[in-house]
Amino acid sequence: MIRRLGAGLAVLWAAATAAYAALLLAPGDTVDILVGDGPDTPEIRADIIADWGLDRPEIVQYLSYLWRLLHGDLGRSYQLQRGVGDVLATQIGPTAQLTLAAAGTGVALAGIIALVTAGRGRWLRGAASAAELASVSVPPFLIGIVLLSLFSFTLGWFPVSGAQGPGALVLPALALGLPIAGVLGQVLRGGLERALEQPFAVTARARGLTERALVARHALRHALIPAVTLAGWFTGTLLGGAVITEVLFGRPGLGQVAMQAVTGRDMPVVMAVVLLSALAYVTISTLLDLAYRAIDPRIRG
Amino acid sequence: MKRLIPALLLALTACGAPAAQDARATTLTWAIETQPITLNPQLWSQNKVRLLVFNQFDALISRGEDGSFQPWLARSWQVSDDGLTYTLDLRDDVTFHDGTRFDAAAVKANLDQFRTPGYNPAVASIQLRAFKEAKVLSPTTLEITLKEPDALFLDFLASPYAGQVSPKSLKNAKDLEFGGLDLVGTGPFILDRYVQGQEIHYRRNPAYKWPPAGAAHQGPAHLSEITYRFLPEAAVRVGALTSGQVQVIEGVPATEVGLIKKDPNLALHTALNSGTAYSYYFNTSHAPFDDRRVREAFREAVDVDAVLRSVYQDTATRAWSIVGKRSPFYDATLERTYGGDVARANALLDAAGWRERDAEGFRVKAGKRLTVREVASAPFVRDRRDILSQAIQAQVKQNAGIDLQVRIVDQGSAQQALDQDQYEIFGNSRGDSDAGAALNLILPDKASINRTNFTDPRVDEWLAAASAVSDPAERAKLYAKVQRAAVVDNAIVFPLYVPADQIAAAKSVQGLGFDPASGTPAGAYDVRIGT
Repeated sequence: MIRRLGAGLAVLWAAATAAYAALLLAPGDTVDILVGDGPDTPEIRADIIADWGLDRPEIVQYLSYLWRLLHGDLGRSYQLQRGVGDVLATQIGPTAQLTLAAAGTGVALAGIIALVTAGRGRWLRGAASAAELASVSVPPFLIGIVLLSLFSFTLGWFPVSGAQGPGALVLPALALGLPIAGVLGQVLRGGLERALEQPFAVTARARGLTERALVARHALRHALIPAVTLAGWFTGTLLGGAVITEVLFGRPGLGQVAMQAVTGRDMPVVMAVVLLSALAYVTISTLLDLAYRAIDPRIRG
Repeated sequence: MKRLIPALLLALTACGAPAAQDARATTLTWAIETQPITLNPQLWSQNKVRLLVFNQFDALISRGEDGSFQPWLARSWQVSDDGLTYTLDLRDDVTFHDGTRFDAAAVKANLDQFRTPGYNPAVASIQLRAFKEAKVLSPTTLEITLKEPDALFLDFLASPYAGQVSPKSLKNAKDLEFGGLDLVGTGPFILDRYVQGQEIHYRRNPAYKWPPAGAAHQGPAHLSEITYRFLPEAAVRVGALTSGQVQVIEGVPATEVGLIKKDPNLALHTALNSGTAYSYYFNTSHAPFDDRRVREAFREAVDVDAVLRSVYQDTATRAWSIVGKRSPFYDATLERTYGGDVARANALLDAAGWRERDAEGFRVKAGKRLTVREVASAPFVRDRRDILSQAIQAQVKQNAGIDLQVRIVDQGSAQQALDQDQYEIFGNSRGDSDAGAALNLILPDKASINRTNFTDPRVDEWLAAASAVSDPAERAKLYAKVQRAAVVDNAIVFPLYVPADQIAAAKSVQGLGFDPASGTPAGAYDVRIGT
C-alpha cells in the first residue's frame, strides 16, 4: 500500500515537472502574456516582472513553485486575477457532475447494447455496430450541436446551458458519453461473444441454463476485464471531451478553465489542472486494480 | 371617520399605482460571448464585457450620442485655462450599494488607488500619466491637478476605469483584483451572483436616481433582475434566442444575420465600434514593404468591396482610414483615394523591379519570390478574420502575383515573430473610445504597437499637439493630417473594415442600445419588456 502511495506521488511530481518544462520551452514570454492585448510600455513590463518575480532564474522559480505546492499553495492565475485554488474550487464540482454523468451514461448504454445484441442476429448486431462506429468517429462538437438543435432548439425538451437542475445535464452528458458507449460497447460485445464460444459456455448450456442467464452470470465476468482496462482510457477522454462540451453548452467547469489557461499560457492554472488530472488518473488506476480483484478471483491468489 | 377610511384607501392606491407598476417583477436573460476576466472596473480590460461594467458602477461623466461629455456623478466640471486643473462639482444624493455616501473623498480614494504599485500599471502609465494629485475642497467639490495638459483626461473620467467603487470595499474586498459581490459601486443594478463559466446575475438597485444625462428615463431601472449567460459558441447563442430560452444575445456573426432577419419575432440592432478600423499594417523595416510602391501595389491588387461581400455577406462597413468611421476624428476625404486598380498594381510592381514570374505565377526579383507573411495570434482572431485573410490571399495572388502567407499561431509564437521582425503584415483593430489614444500607441516612433516601424517626426509632433489641446475641432484637424500621412502619403496601412457590434433580441424587449463612447452594447438600465 505504501509503495503504491509512493508511486502515486512520483507520478504527480513527474507530471508537474513535465508540464512546467513544456510550458517553459513553449515560444513566447510570460511577460507578453501578462501584458496581453493591453498597452505595453517598458514601465508596465518592469512593474509586471517585479510583481510576479519573473526576474529570478528559472530553476529558482521552479523550486519555489514546488515548495509552495508542498504547502498547498497553487499560486495565482495570470489571467483570472484570482488564486488558482479559488478558481478550481468553484469549477471542480460541475466537472465532476458532468464526467460522472457522462461515464454513467456511457457505461449503461454500452452494457445494455452489448447484452441485448451479443450473439444475436446479424441485423441487430450490424445496426448496433454502425451506431457505435458513428458515435466514435463523429467529433464530439458535432454530436453536441446536433443534440442541441434537435432536443433544445427544436423540441425544447432541455435547456441549452447552465448547471441548474438535472435537465441541463442530460444533453452534455449524452454528448460526452456517446463516444464512450461506442468504444466500450464494441469491446464488451466482442468479449461476450468470445466467452460464449468457450467450453464452459457449452457446459452451462448443457446444464439447461437459458442463454440470458448464461450471459448475465458467466460470460459478463469474462468480458468485463478488457472493458475495465478501457476505463482508464476513458477517464482521459472525459477530461479532454469536457473542454469541448463545457464551452459548447456554456457550462462552468475545469475543461473551460483549462482551455483558456492553455491558450493564454496561464502557467499556474495549467499546472494545477495537470496535477488534478494526474491525481484523477492515479486514483482511478488504483480503484481499477481493486476492481480486477473483485472481478477475477484468480488475481487475488 | 367611516367615510374617511375608504377615501384614504383610495388615495393610497392612487399613489401606489405608478410605484406598483415600476416595482413589477420583470426579468431578462441575455446571452453574451465573453466572460469577464475581472469585475473590478478599475482593472477592466475587455471591450466585450463593457456592457456589464455600467450596470454595477457609474462613472464621473458620460458621453452623449454626439460624442460630447455630459454630467453623471459629476454635475459639472471646469477646466482651467492652462488645462492643468479640473474642478468637479459632484452630486450630493448618491449612495453606494453598501450604504456609504458618495462624496469628493470617495473620488479621491478611487484616483489614489491607481497609485498602488502593480495595481494597474497600464492605466497608471497611460491614462493617468499626467495625474498629479486630487484635493477635496468640500464634500461635493474635488480639484484634480495634472502635471501637463492632457486632452484625453475627460475620456478617462468617462471610462470604466472611472467607475466609482465604494472606498470601504476597496479596503475590505476579499479579492480586490477580481472584484465580486463585495466590491460595490453606485450603479442601477447590484451584483448578486457570479458563476464562472455559466452566468452573472444582477438585481435592481431600488434607490437609484442618478443616471447619466443621456439616459432615456429617470429613477430605478425597469428590470427587476437580469441574468447574463456566457455562451461562447455563436450558433448556440442564436439557437437559444430562436427557441426563446434567452431574450437577448450579442455577437451575431454574418452567417447568422439572415436567420435573425427572417424571424418576425426578432429584431437585429447593429452599431459601428469606436476606435480604429481593422487594418493591415505593413512592416516597412525590410523588403519588400520598405518600398512604398510595393505597399501601394498590395492595396491596389485587392477589390476590398468584393472581398467583404463574400466574407461578410454585405454586413461589413468598408474602412478607408486607420480611424474608424464612428469617431469624430474620422477623415472622410480619404475615401476612394486608393484601392482596386489592378493595372496600377502590376505597373507599380514592374517599376519596383518585381518583373519575373516563377512556375507558380508569383513575382520574383533576384531569385527571391515576392512573399509577405501575416502572423496572427489565434486567441485574438475573431470576426472571421482568418477567412478574410484567405480571400485577400487569393486576390493578391491572382491579380498581382504576390504570395501572401497567413500564419495563425499561439500567442507566444506570434509575439516571438513580432519581436524578431519575422513578419510583413500585422492585422489589428482597437476599441479605444477616443481614437487619438489608439493613434498614440500605433504611429509614433517606438510606440508600443508601432508594428510598421515607420517613423515621421511630423506625425509625432501632430499627435503630441493633439494630445495637449482640448478643442475637438483643433484635434480633428491635427488627426486628419496624421491620417493622410499614414494612409495616402506613405501607404503604411491598408484599412479593411470597421468593426461592429450586433444585438439580436425578441421584439418585446425595448430600450436596447449601444454605448455612445464605444459603440458596444450598452448596459441594462434603460432596457424594459414592452407590451
